[in-house]
Amino acid sequence: MTTQPTEAAVRRKRRNLLFSACTTLGALLLAAIFLMPLGYGAATALKDKDGVSDPNAALLPVSALTYEYEGEELDIFAVPMPDGQTRELALVEPGRESSVFVDPENPGSGTIEWEGRWRTLDPVTGLDPQWGNFSEAWNTIDFVRLMGWTLMYALTTMLFTVVSSAVVAYGFARFRFPGRGVLFGLLMATILLPPAVTLVPKYAVFLQMGWVGTYLPLIVPQLFANAFNVFLLRQYFLTIPRELEEAARIDGAGPIRTFLRVIVPQALPALTAVSLFHFFYAWNDFFEPLLYLAGNRAIVPIGVGLSYFSGVYNSEPHLILAAAILALALPVVIFLVAQRVFIRGIVVTGVDK
Amino acid sequence: MSDFTDALLTARRGRRSGRPASPMARREARWGYAFISPWIIGFVLFWAVPIGASLVFSMLDFQLTDPDATTFAGGSNWERALSDPDTWTALAATFRFTVLFLPLSLVVALGLALLLNSRYLKFTGLFRLLFFAPSMIPLVAGILIWQQVLNPQTGWVNRLIGLSGIDATGAEGIRWFDNPVLVLFAFSFIGLWGIGNSMIINLAGLQGIPTQLYEAAAIDGAGWWRRLRSITLPLLSPVMFYNLVIGSVLILQYFVVPWVLFGATGRPAGASKFLLVHFYQEAFVFGNMGYGAALAWFIFIVVAVFTGLLFGTARHWVHYGTERS
Amino acid sequence: MRTTPSLRGRGIAAARAVAIGGAAALLASACLDGGSSGATDRVEIRWFVGMGAGSDAPTIPAQEKIVEEFNASQDDIELVLEIVDADQAPNILSTQIATGDGPDIVGPMGIRGRSTFPGAWLDLTPYIEENDYDLTDFDPALVDFYRIEEEGQIGLPFAVFPSFMYVNLDLFDEAGLPYPPQEYGAPYVDADGTERPWDIETMTDLAKRLTVDADGNDATSPDFDPANIVQFGFGNVFADIRAQSTLFGSGSFVDAEGNAQIPEHWAEAQQWYYDGMWTAHFIPNGPYGDSDMLNAGSWFESGNLAMGNTHLWYATCCMAGFEGTWDTAAVPSYDGTTTAKLHADTFSILGDTEHPDEAFQVLTHLIGDAAEELTTTYGGMPARISLQDGYFDRVGAANFEGQDINWDTAVDGMSYVDNPSHEGGMPNFLEAEAVIAEYATRFAQEEGLDIPAELEALKADLQVVFDAA
Repeated sequence: MTTQPTEAAVRRKRRNLLFSACTTLGALLLAAIFLMPLGYGAATALKDKDGVSDPNAALLPVSALTYEYEGEELDIFAVPMPDGQTRELALVEPGRESSVFVDPENPGSGTIEWEGRWRTLDPVTGLDPQWGNFSEAWNTIDFVRLMGWTLMYALTTMLFTVVSSAVVAYGFARFRFPGRGVLFGLLMATILLPPAVTLVPKYAVFLQMGWVGTYLPLIVPQLFANAFNVFLLRQYFLTIPRELEEAARIDGAGPIRTFLRVIVPQALPALTAVSLFHFFYAWNDFFEPLLYLAGNRAIVPIGVGLSYFSGVYNSEPHLILAAAILALALPVVIFLVAQRVFIRGIVVTGVDK
Repeated sequence: MSDFTDALLTARRGRRSGRPASPMARREARWGYAFISPWIIGFVLFWAVPIGASLVFSMLDFQLTDPDATTFAGGSNWERALSDPDTWTALAATFRFTVLFLPLSLVVALGLALLLNSRYLKFTGLFRLLFFAPSMIPLVAGILIWQQVLNPQTGWVNRLIGLSGIDATGAEGIRWFDNPVLVLFAFSFIGLWGIGNSMIINLAGLQGIPTQLYEAAAIDGAGWWRRLRSITLPLLSPVMFYNLVIGSVLILQYFVVPWVLFGATGRPAGASKFLLVHFYQEAFVFGNMGYGAALAWFIFIVVAVFTGLLFGTARHWVHYGTERS
Repeated sequence: MRTTPSLRGRGIAAARAVAIGGAAALLASACLDGGSSGATDRVEIRWFVGMGAGSDAPTIPAQEKIVEEFNASQDDIELVLEIVDADQAPNILSTQIATGDGPDIVGPMGIRGRSTFPGAWLDLTPYIEENDYDLTDFDPALVDFYRIEEEGQIGLPFAVFPSFMYVNLDLFDEAGLPYPPQEYGAPYVDADGTERPWDIETMTDLAKRLTVDADGNDATSPDFDPANIVQFGFGNVFADIRAQSTLFGSGSFVDAEGNAQIPEHWAEAQQWYYDGMWTAHFIPNGPYGDSDMLNAGSWFESGNLAMGNTHLWYATCCMAGFEGTWDTAAVPSYDGTTTAKLHADTFSILGDTEHPDEAFQVLTHLIGDAAEELTTTYGGMPARISLQDGYFDRVGAANFEGQDINWDTAVDGMSYVDNPSHEGGMPNFLEAEAVIAEYATRFAQEEGLDIPAELEALKADLQVVFDAA
């Protein structure tokens, strides 16, 4: 049916185009608001200390321009002169109702007495990003060490939890045994149980074992599977055709071999997704490291390290923000690189962590 | 997600009559138990025994600093938990925040998913990335950034509000972290940064709704709102139920954000003294392990009652369509 | 639940990477037990900083240097430095002690640290005798200060930190006001030559005139806008309720019977501070005090506070980078009495240490050979008499080159110290402090409180905590 586009079709097309533009623009605005704090963080991380503490400071990392006069650093202000023009002058001697200025362009002509309140003047500023804040934060927070322990924690627990969860998930997915429904329900119920209820006895036992202050209380429990991961992997295993396993079984493979040779290769996307979920979860983990590593500050992961840092350096927000940006860089980069796998992973498995 | 809730719902009635087992079936069962044994061991070691032990601990006067002086305390820790004004402050604070943030996060996650699923939106991949990215930011880093953004004097939020003519900056301005109501909004902003996961789950759910349903509705002349109400929401309800359950379990154990911002001080005016903050302070700061165990059980009961209520309401609004296997 | 076939191929490479990473991590986990490197047979001695001076960012490098030099100087001991945020320090230390993973040496530790962990410290007497340690360089009274009944010699004197007024001279010049007196007992002389006693009342008047809003109005002006203050007159820097109140005289929340009390002059002090924050506006309240304008709590350093009352350690922790001109002044009197509260720091050894001899060796190094550098770093006046000579010249040269600061005011203040100490013990110390902090938060953050009623409630809450001890 080839016809000239009718007027209605053109109108509909135009309308769609308009809707598209509006929706996309709206989404863009929303995203800008949503991500605004990142922009603020970056701008502030590049400010110097005075630029942070000045309530009238500009949004961008600017510094007040100064002028050296008779051995002193003077701030430059935009001063409205009696003749109506505004001059950029350096403040030599501030006073409540009148102050003394000097013209940086022409210091030889002497000082200028100005009637008025200097506090109402605007300082003259120039863009001056302090890239050194990042290296200062990097060194003071001992970033390499924090990162090393965080990676160790995230990767070790990732390996443990993915392996154990896959084994358990296979058990629930493929074998019939009495009580399977109840046990699986029990497994699911642990997702809803508040960990606090087990914390006091666990802490007391780990304390007795001398494990508090080490990573053992954080890592060892990961050897025993995690309900979320088991659930996700079981769902995925259920979608793998049984014929593949039956073929392996006919070849004489036992359940373990079948699991390793057939199921694991088939389930790589889900295993990858679960690994990534856990990696980000561990990177973020705060409560348990705070609890079990308290007192062993040398080995805390990045989240706890950042919170300690912000306590000691609380009067230097530019350094805190520089450290925060350093801490978010790696996970965000990993996410950007792996985002297709990651987001698809959520879709594949249908549930997040 | 529906499978998740299914699993929970069926577990309650998942009782099967015993069948005579063939040798094959017995062999299969043995392998099944072998495969799930890591979890069974873990469940006993890290859940069942500690939960029971916690109940015993809650009846002891057990000080972390002086474990040798532990004595049997009977119900006194429980009495203390119920008469401690901080417990009720904490419960009230937790529920106030739940009432605010839980609906907010559900609506925003749904709204963003609808936006990302809109056929009018261009560059969906990019936007999906932008809205998801903050979820990848380590929570503590996010908290530190928001703390500065909401700074009353120099933060951008107050400056933006100031542009509209409201005097937001300065001591009389909007003090996000000093007002017991505003601080809940500050917590909410920080919380919304982590909304990416529920957004993606919603999106996955939306994309699973057959397009024929919408086409049929469009032929019937149903507008956007009608289609949302009579197709999208019912079909998405299992997903939303999942988000609701997980969200409430997490929010009832809210800890990291108030802890990083205020420690256990409960600033401002007890608004940040959530249940878990109160528990952590008593058990691990003051070392009152016995009392802490009683508080932990208290939290356990609160979470159990709350999620129980949610599952109770599920049958009235969660639609399990034909997909139930 | 859908699967996407195309994903399967892509997942393999990622999964392989994950597996390799995991194997590497497994290797790393071989040394899980937390960095105890078994390479050397040196005895490890852990030095915990945070219970007194030393947890401020600028003092950290100097402490690291001392550790490095000590480790290079001998082969038997590996000294390890642990610096924690002062707010978190009691929690962290109590966890460490409970887990049997305590440090060996804690210090510099104020009186407060001792109050927090009664009975945790090693009696040094046998080690002093065994090593024939020479105590003649200390004031015997100061040595006895750390001799506690039933606990023994729990520390040796290291440094004292008298308090005084920090005065921002630029702000006085800007307002055209003469500086406050630097000698105790001297009056304040007005611009027109009138003499007034240097007391709280005079100081309050000055502080109001030194509190300025964004338009340049001071706090005495009818046009003054309390919502846009850019400069404050007075503040007690980094001080809790007990420290603040001591400006009006020393006292304690614990009476002779161990019950809770609110000393009358402390009640007056609380009312004065509260009015100063919320009605007269010359003291920063919570919102202003936490803001960046006042350097998130380190008020005087921001250059926007005219008079700050705090200790000697503030000079080195925070003032080295100060761009304006500042000097000292006497602490004003209240009701005829002058009280300049004192911090006194010691190094102590934890009773649970496994290496008391090595720890004692480190301790004597810290209060001996390293004392000169450490006291300069922390800004404490050395307890060693031989180091007191020329001490302020060293501090001045290290931190305040070319500035003429009158340190005599600091030394003179030691004649007016607080007894009982504002950091003294309370039953159930950590919980008592938490109760006081809760009151302090309301006090600093909420307008319109009835202070006498709040103090009554505080007393009742404290009584509950004391009774539970």
